[in-house]
Amino acid sequence: MQRSNLDPLLQASLREGFDDLQLWRCQQCGQCSAVCPSYKNGGINPREVMERALTASIDLEKDRSIWQCTMCNACSERCQLDVDPARVITALRNLATEKGNVPAHFLSEARLFVSSGMAFPVTGLTKKLRAELKLEELDVGEDTIDEIRIIASETRMGRVGIEP
Amino acid sequence: MSREHCLFRGCLIPTRLPFLEKASIAVLDKLGIDHEPLPGATCCMEPIGLRSMAMDTWLAVTGRMLALAERDGRDILTLCNGCFVSLKEAAHILSDSEARERVNLILSDIGLEYGGGCQVRHLLEVIRDQGRSKVVDLTERTLNAKMAVHPGCHLVRPSQILGVERPFRPQLLAEVATWVGADVIQTQDWPRCCGGGLSGVEEELSKEILADTVQEFRGGGAELILIPCPFCFVQFDLKQREGLPVLYLAELLAWSFGASSEELGFKNHRTRLPF
Repeated sequence: MQRSNLDPLLQASLREGFDDLQLWRCQQCGQCSAVCPSYKNGGINPREVMERALTASIDLEKDRSIWQCTMCNACSERCQLDVDPARVITALRNLATEKGNVPAHFLSEARLFVSSGMAFPVTGLTKKLRAELKLEELDVGEDTIDEIRIIASETRMGRVGIEP
Repeated sequence: MSREHCLFRGCLIPTRLPFLEKASIAVLDKLGIDHEPLPGATCCMEPIGLRSMAMDTWLAVTGRMLALAERDGRDILTLCNGCFVSLKEAAHILSDSEARERVNLILSDIGLEYGGGCQVRHLLEVIRDQGRSKVVDLTERTLNAKMAVHPGCHLVRPSQILGVERPFRPQLLAEVATWVGADVIQTQDWPRCCGGGLSGVEEELSKEILADTVQEFRGGGAELILIPCPFCFVQFDLKQREGLPVLYLAELLAWSFGASSEELGFKNHRTRLPF
């Protein structure tokens, strides 16, 4: 394996605050894949993604495998060299999102979050169940939602095209 | 000495599973633990989708929540593994003054500042801290069912940040379950994933991972699955094909402490409970 200076994470680390990642430590031992529930069932192969990240051969605009991770953190827990594959995948997903490669499910979750402060909608069923259970109504105040909008506009979330 | 808590309910519990909120409040009341909701709370920007999309937004949003709790002089109590890992990892990162400075630059625009003094605890830890004898004393009845305990990924990993001992075989959930007399079955080392992180994204893969985990529990003789996380709850209760009943930690305790099935809204479970 030829490690590349074009490492997409190396480039990212210069501007995105992932500078503490230690992907270069990866020796391709495969312990991450051995404990990965997604890999076991035909999804992402974390060892292979670490290799492709090191050799700068991930197509951030199209890669699907990075979105097949459940973020269960088993890989990072098992990795003996502190490569932290789950966080590398998080970084790759951040970069892919910026290029428009993000599952529709997460995109609509992000839209809902920025517009309502919540990741799940308050529906008629929510209201009915809460009333039945004698719980008070849910209300994320407008001031709170404004604060979230301000934070989003000053950070990555504001740059990924989710504004209505 | 831990300070008082404010309750961080998250999104999934109050919107879709409010019966889990009801059970949690019932348990906290019995234990005499304060549960005033965190004012100004929003979604924690869970670690699977939202944080994956925008790490810096996540750190500022969680920093905002930590600052709000800190301003009230309280620590945060979460009912969800996702909220737990999200807020606790943020608190860990923001214990570093440089990282805090960067986030405070953003928070200053909404009139907030985080000083690094807020602790984050999961309901399970808060119950543990009450001690065995108090829980045993409150227990009025015992559930007769062989139980598989499923801590869920984000209660136990990353173990160093979450303060989990022996992460290949964490015991806390099983231990607290035995305090109310539960009959806990042995499962293999290495806590399993429910596949919930891929629900709605890679539906088939998500179901395969779920089936794998349920298979192990069933093979071990489980008649019921105990979970401390609403995301795991949705996977096991709504998507599981084998029909093993599912209980959320607070539901088990509230029921054991004497609350009725009607009061706790058990009818809202899709899997049939044995009572």
